[in-house]
Amino acid sequence: MFDRVGEVMSLILGALAVGYLVYEVERRRRKLHELWDVLDDDDAVITAALQDMVESGELQPFAGASLA
Amino acid sequence: MAKSSRGPGSGRRRADLREEASAPAGGDVNLASPSGQAAHSAGAGPANAPRFRIFIVDCGWNSPARRVLLDNFSLIRELQQDDPIYVLSREKSIDLARRYGSRIGRDPILAVHDMAALERDGTTGFHGFRLSLGLLRTPQQALLGLQSFVRFLVTHRRSPDLEADIRANLRREGLMGAIDIMMQHESRDLVSDV
Repeated sequence: MFDRVGEVMSLILGALAVGYLVYEVERRRRKLHELWDVLDDDDAVITAALQDMVESGELQPFAGASLA
Repeated sequence: MAKSSRGPGSGRRRADLREEASAPAGGDVNLASPSGQAAHSAGAGPANAPRFRIFIVDCGWNSPARRVLLDNFSLIRELQQDDPIYVLSREKSIDLARRYGSRIGRDPILAVHDMAALERDGTTGFHGFRLSLGLLRTPQQALLGLQSFVRFLVTHRRSPDLEADIRANLRREGLMGAIDIMMQHESRDLVSDV
């Protein structure tokens, strides 16, 4: 009887551990993708706006030494 | 993120997007006079044309990430001399944030436009990447993020497939994260054994 309960508990704990690991990896993956993101179709308008600012001379390469 | 819908319409779409985005963003750009870098336009020729255009969008949140960026900007410029850096004024940054609300709180954002991809496919599909530095909450994290950013730019300037490199890097980071989690568990186990 106790053996069976022990087995079930081990299985449950093992499943919880694996579940937590998968959740944690996925959470970190999402955070990483929020931090580093590729520019794609979703960013097309903002990219075009920035490129236009450069082409029109509205934005110039930064020439100062520091931002402060 | 499926990115490669490249087709005959991409050039027309790019022109449309340019028209769409041509409205003035408002606010003056608070910049010093242009340097010699300005001569390196994307169409200047493949030999000496910059591979990237780097844009810094910063609304001015009083955050550790912003302080780290300000403290290290001159070093970033020295390390990244081959590609022009465009710093948007606070007014322009706020204007962009207002238009694209989901970006609020992520700045300073360092957006990198891959000129090779832009010239090939326009803004359709992959055309660069960005680091949302403002998401990093501690100075140490922000500094590490900034260092990774510059390292990636310097080591991948001549990459024939930047998108693949970025995805491979993210996969590797994800894998390292998984290993890190397991190692932390292991170290906790070790501690609990003592």
